[in-house]
Order: sequence, then C-alpha cells, then structure tokens
Amino acid sequence: MKNALILAGLLVLTSLAVFGQGYPTQPADALIFPIGEAGTVYEDMQLGVRGGTITVANIEDPKGWNNHTAHETSTTHFTNRMHRGLVNLDHISGAIVPDFAKGWEISDDGLVITFSLREGIKWSDGEPITADDVLFTYNDVILNEDVDTNARDSQLLPDGTYPLCEKVDDYTVTFTMSVIYRPALNALSFNIMPKHKLADSVHKLNPAVPAGTFNETWTLDTPLSELVGNGPWIVSDYQPNVSVTMTRNPYYYGYDPSGTQLPYYDTYVSAIVTNQDVSMLKFRNGETDVYLLRPEDIAILLPEGASKGFQILITDQPGYGTTWFMPNQDIGLAEGTDNEKRELYRNVKFREALAHTIDKETMIQNVLNGLGGPQWSPVSVPSPFYAGRDFYGGPITENNAITFEYDPAKAAGILDELGVIDADGDGWRDLPSGDPLTIEINSNDNTVRIGYCLILQDDWRAIGLNATFQVVDFNTLVNRLFGASGDVIQLGLTGGDEPNSGANVYRSCGSLHAYRYSACDEPDEIDARIDELLALGAGTFDLDEAFDYYTEYQQLISAQLGYINMVVRSFQYAYYDYVGNAFKSSPISTPGGNNGLLMELCFDNRL
Amino acid sequence: MLTYIIRRTLYMLPLLLIVSLISFTLIKIMPGDFLTLARMDPQITEETLQSQIERFGLDRPFMVQYWLWLKNIVTRGDFGFSFDTKMPVYRTLFLGNRLPWTVFIALSTLFLQYLFAIPIGIYSATHQYKPSDHIVTFLGFLGLSIPNFFFALVLLWMLVVIFRVGDYGLTVGNAMDMHFYGAPLSWAKIVNILWHMWPVWLVLGTSGMAVLIRLMRGNLLDTLSLPYVQTARAKGLRERVVVYKHAVRNAVNPLVTILGLQLPTLVSGSVIVAIVLNLPTVGRSYFAALQRQDENVIMAGLLFFSLFLLIGNLFSDFLLAWVDPRIRYD
Repeated sequence: MKNALILAGLLVLTSLAVFGQGYPTQPADALIFPIGEAGTVYEDMQLGVRGGTITVANIEDPKGWNNHTAHETSTTHFTNRMHRGLVNLDHISGAIVPDFAKGWEISDDGLVITFSLREGIKWSDGEPITADDVLFTYNDVILNEDVDTNARDSQLLPDGTYPLCEKVDDYTVTFTMSVIYRPALNALSFNIMPKHKLADSVHKLNPAVPAGTFNETWTLDTPLSELVGNGPWIVSDYQPNVSVTMTRNPYYYGYDPSGTQLPYYDTYVSAIVTNQDVSMLKFRNGETDVYLLRPEDIAILLPEGASKGFQILITDQPGYGTTWFMPNQDIGLAEGTDNEKRELYRNVKFREALAHTIDKETMIQNVLNGLGGPQWSPVSVPSPFYAGRDFYGGPITENNAITFEYDPAKAAGILDELGVIDADGDGWRDLPSGDPLTIEINSNDNTVRIGYCLILQDDWRAIGLNATFQVVDFNTLVNRLFGASGDVIQLGLTGGDEPNSGANVYRSCGSLHAYRYSACDEPDEIDARIDELLALGAGTFDLDEAFDYYTEYQQLISAQLGYINMVVRSFQYAYYDYVGNAFKSSPISTPGGNNGLLMELCFDNRL
Repeated sequence: MLTYIIRRTLYMLPLLLIVSLISFTLIKIMPGDFLTLARMDPQITEETLQSQIERFGLDRPFMVQYWLWLKNIVTRGDFGFSFDTKMPVYRTLFLGNRLPWTVFIALSTLFLQYLFAIPIGIYSATHQYKPSDHIVTFLGFLGLSIPNFFFALVLLWMLVVIFRVGDYGLTVGNAMDMHFYGAPLSWAKIVNILWHMWPVWLVLGTSGMAVLIRLMRGNLLDTLSLPYVQTARAKGLRERVVVYKHAVRNAVNPLVTILGLQLPTLVSGSVIVAIVLNLPTVGRSYFAALQRQDENVIMAGLLFFSLFLLIGNLFSDFLLAWVDPRIRYD
C-alpha cells in the first residue's frame, strides 16, 4: 500500500514535470495544419491522438547535430526535425508556405521581403524566439566566412551578392536583395538556430574563442541536453550504430484544428542499419513502422501485406531527380585527340540518333519492375514548374514534351546520313573518315544503373555501334565527369522544385555542365538563350510568367540532348495499417523521409 | 623477460611507421577524396569547395601531408580531426561503447570456438575415418567456406521469413533490442543479449572453427602415434586416460599458441559481419570512414587494427614460450 502511494506520488510528479512544460494554452500565433478541412490538400487526413512511438530505419549514423555545418542527409535527417525556418515546403502540395514566419510581403519593386514572425513562441528550453535569432542565424552563421557551411551557396544572388537581413522590431525582419530573384524565397527556409545557446561559439561575436569554433560545436560529443530547437522534435538519446531517439518539443508551435499540439507521436526512433536489405527485413519483422521501398522489394512485400497488416502505396507519381547518359562533347579536347569523335558527339543529329535508341519501356519493366516512367525534362516531375504541365502547378499532360521515341531503325538511318557506316566490313560502324568508332559507357557499381547501361549497350550494338559498358569506381567516374576525360557516362542528379536549383548544371558556365565545359568560353545561341531563360525565370515573382520561361528552357535543354534523359522511378511507400495518415506519403514528404515533414501529422491509430 | 617485452614493443614502432606510410599512400592513390561527393551536388559552388580543400589541407603535396600528420602524432599525440564528424579521430572511432563491444565479441567468440573445437577435434581424431569423423570435418569446412556476410544474411532471412520471429516480438540484428542499450543490467537484458548474440557467435565462430578442429585432430593423431603413448597403452592404462591425460595435453600446445593470432583475425574479420548484423563495433565507424574517404579516421583505424595484430603476435610468442620450455626469451 505504502509502495503504491509512493508510486502514485511519483506518477503525479513526473506528469507535472512533463505537462508543466509547454504552452499553458494554444499560442495565438500557432501554425495550424488544416487536417480534415474541406477544400484543402489535407482534407482526406484524419485528426490524430497523441502518444506512442514511431520507428523507422535509416542507413548511416548522424555525423553531428549542427544543422548548418552538416554536409550529409544522415545528419540533416535529424536536424531538420529539430529546427524550422521562416518558410517551408507544404507537406502535401510542395508550395512555399509560412512556417516560423506568419507570412511575408514583397515590396512593389520586388527587392524587399518583409517577414512577420510568430509571437510568444519559445525554444525547446523555454527561451523566447525573436528576430535576433533569425539575424544571428543568417548574418553570424550562414554568411560567416569562418563557418564551414553549404547553406551560404543557396543564398547567393545572380550578381554575386547576398540578401541583406535586417531587424525591424522583435518580430519583423526584412531581406533586401540587389536584384529580383524569386528562388531567394525558397532559400529563406534555412533552419533558425538559437542565439542564446550558440552565440558564444561564434568567433565574430565572442573573440575569446578561435575562428572556426562553431564548426566543432554541437558534435556527437555534445551532451544532448545542450541541443535546443524550434522544430517538432528534439534529440533525446543517441546510441552509436544503434539508434537515435527524438522526443516531442513541448514548445513546438504546430497545432491541429482541434487544438492538439503536434506532433502526435511522443517519440520518434530511428534505428540505424547498414544496408537496405536489413532495413527491409526489419520492416517485414515488424520492427519498423514505415519503409521507403526499392523497385526490387515490391514482389516480396506485396504478398505479405495482408497477413502482416501493412499497406503498400503504389503510385505512378515519379520522384525527384534525373537519370541520364551523356556523350562527352569535349572528349579529347585538352589532349588534342579524338577530334573526329568530338565533332560527332557535338553534332546534335548524332545525339538524336542515340536518343532514339533508349528503350525506356524495357528499362522500366526490367530494371524498375514496371514502377517508373520516361523522363525528358531536366526539371523533376513533381516540380510545379515541370513543363509536362499545362500551367504552373497544373496536372501533368505532357503536351509540351520533347520526346524521342524508341526507334532503332530511325537511329540507324540518322547514322547512315551522318556517314557513320561500316566502312571496313567488320560489322561495326566507323567514323565518317573510316577510322573505327568505339564507345565506352561508364557507370558505377549500382544495380539499377548497371541495368540501364546493359540495355543501352545491347541496343547500340544492335545498330552496329561498337559500345562496351564498363563499371568503374564512383570516385573515378566523378573524376572523369569533371575532368571531361570520360567517353559516355551514365549517372543521375538530385533535383528539386525550383528549376534554378539546376542552374549549376545547365548554365553554360555551371560547374556541373559536364557534357560540354567548353560552352563557357564559346557559348552558342542556344546556350546563351538557356542562360537567359534561367535568369528570366528566377527574376520574377509572377509564377505564370516564370512557368513560361522555364517551359521554353526545358524544351531547349531536352532538344539539345546534353544530358540525355532516360527514365525515372515512381514513388512507392510501405506502412503498417496502424500508422494513421501515412497514406498521404508522396515524393515531397514521407513519415520517415529526410525532409521529415509528414511525420508530425502521422499518429498511432490503435491508441 | 622484461627486456624481451621492451625489445619486442620497440620493434613494433618501426613496423607501425611502415604500416602508416603504406596506408597513407594507398589512401592518396585511391581516386577522389572526401569532397568528391560534394562535387556532384548542384547546390555547392566552386568557391565553397575550394575553401574546404584548403581547410582540410587537401591541396598540399603528399609528403607534406604525411609529415604534418606524423609530426602531430609524435609531438602532440594528436591523430587529427575527422573531416566528417569534426571530432577527434579517436572519439569518432570509439564513440559510445564500440571498443568494449569489439573486445567482448572477439573474446567471447574466441572462447566459444575453443570450447567447441577442442572436443570435436579430439572426437574426430579418436574416430579417424569413421563416418562421424567425415561428417564433423565436412561441417567444419562448410563453416569455413561460406562467406561470413552471406551466412549472416541467410540467417537473418531465415529468422524473419521462415521462423517469423517478429510474431513472437523478437527482433533481429543488433546486439540487443534498442531500448535495452541505455537500460541498466538486468536478467531481461542478459537474455536479450544472448538471443541477439547467438547468430553472431555462429557466423563468426564457424569460420575459424574448421581450422582449429583440423589442427586439434592432426596434432592428436601425431601424438597418438608417438612411442610414449604406446608405452602408456602397454602399461595397461585405460584408453580414456591415455588420450586425455597423456596425448591431449601435448597435442593442445599449438592451439594455445595460435590463440594470440586468432584474436586480430576476429577483430578485423568481424567488420563485415558487424555491418550485416548491425553490431556497434569499431569496424562500423572505420567502414563509415572508408566510404566517405575520411582520411584521418581511416589512418587511425588501420593503425588500430595493425596494433591489434602486432599485440596478438606478441601475445602468441609469449604463450609459445610459456607452454614450451624449449623456447627461450633471448
């Protein structure tokens, strides 16, 4: 009896300790997710209940807890849950929506963006969040040359300057730009860091510490109680190589329409596994609740779903990123060799012939198990600017697609016209001069890429092109790409919603313009127009106008066939029936994904 | 004895130096570096990359980089920082309980290997060319010839798909259920560890056992044919006494001496198994560093494994001298 009393007393105390924190009532400036409200993209979602734990598996350990010095998703997977920025991408629609900012106004000249911040919101340790934290993050961390961060690059304006961040009052900040640059708004989704915790490790603000101290702040060695954020989750436990546990932030400002503070789950556990096979086994064994599957998993998981109680969301919605091969149009340029081959690769007719040899249907069926679609644009399909839509954010109709159908006979015909014929009768086509033409396709050791390349190689050999596929080490491949020393390289690139995120790839002087670096010194008309369209698209806040520029840009790129696009995987996701709202997973956000957005809206429907 | 230990320890220093130079050369001739991945990111500018190259000193000539690395170790005991985690390399390698786990897994596997290999070897020798000898030998070689990582994957697959252990609330991989890692020691925790460790012991143990069984069998057969065994039998001793008291004691010597050599094999050999079975060992952080070309951590990891090898060698030399009076320290 006495023990029971003590226990009861302890329970009351602990519940006081837990519920004593957080906001006494919903803050006036809370961010409301319109779950279940008609007319919104959230309308088919359900209001959840709080409690429970969601477990996912991740490959790789985090490398630290410092969001702005992190260079890899294994770290930002967690820091993106711990911090939020002024704006964010909507979980469902992908549009830019307010997050820590209540809203923003753009001045008539388009050069000043004024953000009003949420008032009365606190960091996870109970300290108020104000404009000073935004200024600290922007001016003293991101723009600080001492800080080893990649975040600075996304803030760069086309004229080489950065937006000027100023405080108007405690809850208003302005960003002033020297030129109109719409993608700057996306970039202002940068995660806000707590000034009261971190100012002392910035040399600029605290000369007592050496320059660069911030880079060694919030490492894996830092006591977890030191970590403070404004996002839905805070790291509460880390076991190296085993797991990361995050607990709800009692001061997170997101609420559902019924006044329940988000996230619904109390705890988020990320089991660290070393490869996808183990990750899938853990899902099948019921150890994890959600799983982002690979094409090859579908045949194994589908028959088990009913008996084990999980669902597989199969969509034909393509994901982000591009997959391509590129004939190196600068081959032999530095060495002064391969002159004729280089001329051939630079001939757009030759590249058109190659484009007609891509058997996208076989690639989708054999390599992606039928779960994919053809790709033709440099912009990712989920982007509202994807030119396969009829207007900004419209449905995908592919009316504007520039396509090259699979037609080996047509390809052979083009090659004949170009004089690429079998001159010496050895069964292989030769260069117009009669010199032998051999093509080496390179990719790295990745089952999907090897699959694509083998299909490509067979189709090329079938029309008489002497092509061989060679797997090389990833780093060697990247060196060949940047050193312009490869022949034909097959790889992929990540993509985002804003076409300008690919500017570094497609602008003639971009550092990833690997299909023809020499275009920087000698751009032709089309190169110049592409550069211009990228700048025009970014230089307006009128989305319809931008869409038109970007459509022309995508069509030009696709007709130019620099990177010759192939196919793109569609999106599949597996989740146990008891994970409420997980059906809403999309390439934009998944409960367990690196963006970490949908997680706070999912709940355990057994509670 | 003491001078022997000191002399042998001093011999290790030039060896480690040579190992480090070879390792450093190998790392440098690998294509790419820590920043190769960043180069493929369309969002990162050339200027940022350049500033990182300078920060990490990757633009300096090879010998300068090696010299600076060595100088910092000799003068300040500083093995450098990890590019990836921005922590000192020893923290990166040994973060959490990686070192104790590595030692525990190696020692417990070693113990179990001997526990099973010696009796099986004896049985095999005393039943030479009988069907049971062939079966034992066959199983031993099977264990030796199946690649560890493959065996581990098959085992996991069988547990999950054939035996559906998830239906009984049992998890696979890891050294214990996740929530036990931070928990204090209890019976439930020990039982849980045992459930998770048996596949580890099975996978790691079987690969080395065949060697030990064959060694034990061969030695015992040699010994059993020696004249003193015949003498013992002629005296009318029971076969049990002849085998266990007279023959086995002498036949087991070489097994004791290779004990020291088994240890480093287990530590470095468990890297892949630790990856498949998700064990929190030093091998994991070393492998992560290899994937990212995190140079300082790779160097420290290689030195760590070499040190283990050298200590294992030293240890087996001691054991050899200890069990065999004919060996002298000088």
